[in-house]
Amino acid sequence: MKYRVWFGEVEDGEVRLSDDLVKSFMRVGNDVSGKELPFNVFDLGVKVFGSPERYYSELRKTAIEVARLKAEKELKREDRYAIMLLKALDEIDESINLLENKLADVREVKESEVTEEMEEEIRRMKTLRRRIEGEIEAVMEKVAPNLSSILGGVIAARLLEKVGSLQRLASLPASTIQILGAEKSLYKAMARMRKGKPAKIPKHGVIFQHPFIRTLPKNKRGKMARFMAAKLAIAARIDHFTGELNDELVLEVRRKYEELVRG
Amino acid sequence: MSAKKKTQEIGKSQKILHNVYLIEKGEKQILATKSRYGSHYGEKKFGEFREWIPSRSKLAAMLLRGYRIDIRPDWKVLYLGAASGTTVSHLADIVEKGVIYAVEYSAKPFTKLIELAEERRNIIPLLEDASKPQRYSGIVEKVDFIYQDIAQKNQVEIFLDNIRMFLKKGGEGLIMVKARSIDSTAEPPEVFEGVLKKLSRRVKVVASDTLEYHRDHIFVHVWG
Ligand SMILES: C[S@@+](CC[C@H](N)C(=O)[O-])C[C@H]1O[C@@H](n2cnc3c(N)ncnc32)[C@H](O)[C@@H]1O
Repeated sequence: MKYRVWFGEVEDGEVRLSDDLVKSFMRVGNDVSGKELPFNVFDLGVKVFGSPERYYSELRKTAIEVARLKAEKELKREDRYAIMLLKALDEIDESINLLENKLADVREVKESEVTEEMEEEIRRMKTLRRRIEGEIEAVMEKVAPNLSSILGGVIAARLLEKVGSLQRLASLPASTIQILGAEKSLYKAMARMRKGKPAKIPKHGVIFQHPFIRTLPKNKRGKMARFMAAKLAIAARIDHFTGELNDELVLEVRRKYEELVRG
Repeated sequence: MSAKKKTQEIGKSQKILHNVYLIEKGEKQILATKSRYGSHYGEKKFGEFREWIPSRSKLAAMLLRGYRIDIRPDWKVLYLGAASGTTVSHLADIVEKGVIYAVEYSAKPFTKLIELAEERRNIIPLLEDASKPQRYSGIVEKVDFIYQDIAQKNQVEIFLDNIRMFLKKGGEGLIMVKARSIDSTAEPPEVFEGVLKKLSRRVKVVASDTLEYHRDHIFVHVWG
């Protein structure tokens, strides 16, 4: 059995030292499924490097270099990844819908082996859909923990999708965030107003999907949307600049909701 | 302000762990670690001490609650959920002759952890997912202490998996449990009971209690 360690490979207790520590450090995973390795990396490493001091000094140097490389790569990509996944989710929803309609049409005429296959296909697509959704939740919790804690990963990703990146979202005022996704009705309203006609400015876009807004009586939704958007603007900035979760934000949003439900 | 004035600010101090002190400051008592290094997260420095802020660090909140784990200066530590290194920075003051493998999976706070690792000698930063310990099995050695603060639904399972793979025989574990992460609808005491039950099936639960400054959290100290 061969094992990978950060400084090389181990087979039958023999160490093959890597000639590129950064590289070997980067692909160090072992498929040991929850079991410990049959040796302690440190003990082997000390033999290889000569002393604990040398071992730790090499380990630290390599770890920091790898950490920088990986972090830089992730920072560039992760919000894009969430956005692309969301687009895929929308596509798959549309496909499922379409196929379901077709299936119903076909079935009305005749049951057959083919209708069963279509059904099977739909089931497969739904499984994939769940996988994608789960991945969006997981990625968003990393990239934007505060936005996700307030909105849930999928709606939070939808906000990102509307503006293209977390950086962009973090630069927007609350009033804009509040109506992201309602641009069409906003433009319509503005066009009407330019012509001197009465018009309603939309109160919420994407965030309307959130139960805290949707489940409120109509006359309170605007208030909730404004409050939530203010918290989301703060959340987006924290997510962009430090990426650390602040539990208070989601609590404040919940409190506001409960207050509006009651009063 | 003169240097004299500065030293006068600090009153009596009491050592509670290696490099960890309770210091009287006016009316209040503050927790601090003795440190050669500067401020990392906006905490104050008093001479050779760095204030350890309990609202920012659950480990500090636990110590201030009066519970002690005798963390030794030469301990090797696996820290899961290191974020930007707030608690790690103080732990690094304590295990000054040991090492901390600091695992965090979110790149943004992690960049600040890298800075900390560059400043100190005893921190190995790992941008990894704690729920996939096999990914860092060729890096992390057997450790004396596993600390976990990740606020995840399956945080107990993740903790136990890491214990199985990396904790020395007779080693210690400390997990900070957030009720709302595990189950957002159940009452916290109910959640905690479930957690303790799950833990005691696999490790010895030594103590557990709530934490001030961190609502609906408990710490659980275990022996592997
Ligand atoms: C409450 S914060 C930790 C604060 C830190 N322990 C301190 O006191 O300075 C939780 C951290 O765990 C991280 N986290 C959550 N799940 C994780 C996982 N599966 N693997 C690694 N890190 C994780 C989050 O990204 C977040 O930074």
